[in-house]
Amino acid sequence: MKFIRFIFRQWPAAMIIICVFFAAVSVQAGAIKLKYRLKWLFNTSVAGDIYAEEQGYFKAAGLNVKVKEGSPEKNAIKELELGYAHFGVASADQVIRALDKGADVVVLAQLFQVNPMQWIYRADQPEIKKLSDLKGRHIGVTYGGNDETIMKTLLARAGLDSRDVRLFGVRFDFTPFLKKKVDVWPVYRNSQGVILQDKLRQEGETVYFFDPSAFGVEFVANSIVTSGRMIKEHPRQVNSFLTALLKAWEASMDPANEAEVLAAVKKKDKGTRDDIRQKQLSATRELIKPDPGIRIGRIDVNAWKQTEDIMLTEKQIKTPVDIASRLAGPGFF
Amino acid sequence: MLFRRIYQFLIVFCLGLVCLLGIKQIFTLSDYVIPGLPLIMETSGLVSVGYLLDVINTLSVTVLGQFVSIIMAFTVGILGRKSSWAGSFIKVMAYNIQAYPIVALAPIIFILLGDGFLSRLLIASMICYFPLLLSVLGVMTAPVKDIEHFYIATGRMRWQLEVKIRAFENLSKLTTVIAGSATLAMAGTIVAEFIAANAGIGYSIRIALYQSDLAGILVALFMIGIVISVYQGILETLGEKVKTRWSAPKGGELI
Repeated sequence: MKFIRFIFRQWPAAMIIICVFFAAVSVQAGAIKLKYRLKWLFNTSVAGDIYAEEQGYFKAAGLNVKVKEGSPEKNAIKELELGYAHFGVASADQVIRALDKGADVVVLAQLFQVNPMQWIYRADQPEIKKLSDLKGRHIGVTYGGNDETIMKTLLARAGLDSRDVRLFGVRFDFTPFLKKKVDVWPVYRNSQGVILQDKLRQEGETVYFFDPSAFGVEFVANSIVTSGRMIKEHPRQVNSFLTALLKAWEASMDPANEAEVLAAVKKKDKGTRDDIRQKQLSATRELIKPDPGIRIGRIDVNAWKQTEDIMLTEKQIKTPVDIASRLAGPGFF
Repeated sequence: MLFRRIYQFLIVFCLGLVCLLGIKQIFTLSDYVIPGLPLIMETSGLVSVGYLLDVINTLSVTVLGQFVSIIMAFTVGILGRKSSWAGSFIKVMAYNIQAYPIVALAPIIFILLGDGFLSRLLIASMICYFPLLLSVLGVMTAPVKDIEHFYIATGRMRWQLEVKIRAFENLSKLTTVIAGSATLAMAGTIVAEFIAANAGIGYSIRIALYQSDLAGILVALFMIGIVISVYQGILETLGEKVKTRWSAPKGGELI
């Protein structure tokens, strides 16, 4: 009875709360709902995507964007076609392969200006200063993965073939590299690379990174994609989304915002140590914005064309896909 | 038995394929999401021989893994059939351990044993071992009172005889479980290869998956289905032969 009397006495306040709640819900419902599928799990390499959601960049643009974590089994381009996502992150090889098979995919922005797929090796070995220095080394590659294609291209450019090196099929664990069974191990420079470097430093070892782009092999990595239909039917939404996202990426890569960015990433990626996360962010910054003059999202058309050529040479695609015609870029809208 | 298995698989596979192609047509999906028939045929021409060899490679591990698990299951089942402390302990342990998903242990196995033959064999045998063990334990712990009573009363009961009586009386159940565990052993081997091996059809599927090659995966599934159907058919035929032979004593007739 006391409770009922309380409700009756306080009904004006209750009504206000209810009105505010429904108003908030309707404002949220009024925002355009969009789904954005990442390529990989939440970690520092997707700092800008996390930051956009956490800091309300999408909301400010009138969008209600659900940023969805990726994984090896999830494929953003397939989700675009099936209608499970409106935007996604895909690597250049995924985009080119999809175009080869008739998918309607368009590249909106290139996130990584330098491919994070690199190789780590111990500094007690001779430094790889020219491609022919790869000769005789025991090199890890993920068969079927990007790194296999990149390594084969590097070897071909060096005039070497698989008999001149020893290729080792890598897995999820670094044990063969840590046990020195393999000399040169593929890593994502800004995530696994940082962890391995740290692990080896604790053992008193220093490392080098072998970056294919330093030897002229520009194989494009992650980019923001959408479907051609989305651009045709909702160009304003695409523009708003891309503008908000790139603005968030710019802010997240600004060292002045580092503490905020790390806090936002930590909410999603609790399993990584704070110091590692900080190093990963620094490494990501160098790959996303290698030069202060470069605008985040810039599409390196020549690198895309080279990626297509490499895939054609490696018989990953049957015919040219004219990738340049599918690169919209931030200045497109 | 053998042919029935194969055409049953072909019907199921074709139905699945028709459904996929139907979805592709209805939603006008590209070959990237669901490959069309021409692409599947083209891919089949390119990879089917290689995939067949991969499936045979996987099958060899499967057969060996299943053999190991049968031996282990019967050994533990026979030891655990008694209602003694040791028997109860083995049973409880078996029931508890089988609750663990073996696949979750696979990465540890690969780290410890590497990604060679041994890891695949161990995972394959572990995946089909526990269901087998539970069936064998169930059979071995259930006395066949009518028959066993006679031997116990006459003082001629030995453990070997007890095991024989219980196995003989449940022969149909045991052969069915053994034939059925072939699928589990195959699945275990493929999972092991998918996670971290460097050979076999699971490994090839992983590569196809990296390249979003659904056509390749469909061809691999077809090869796996055909080969496992043949293997299961052979096991069932062998099971039938064993049953017939055991049921009819030499020079006698079936009662």
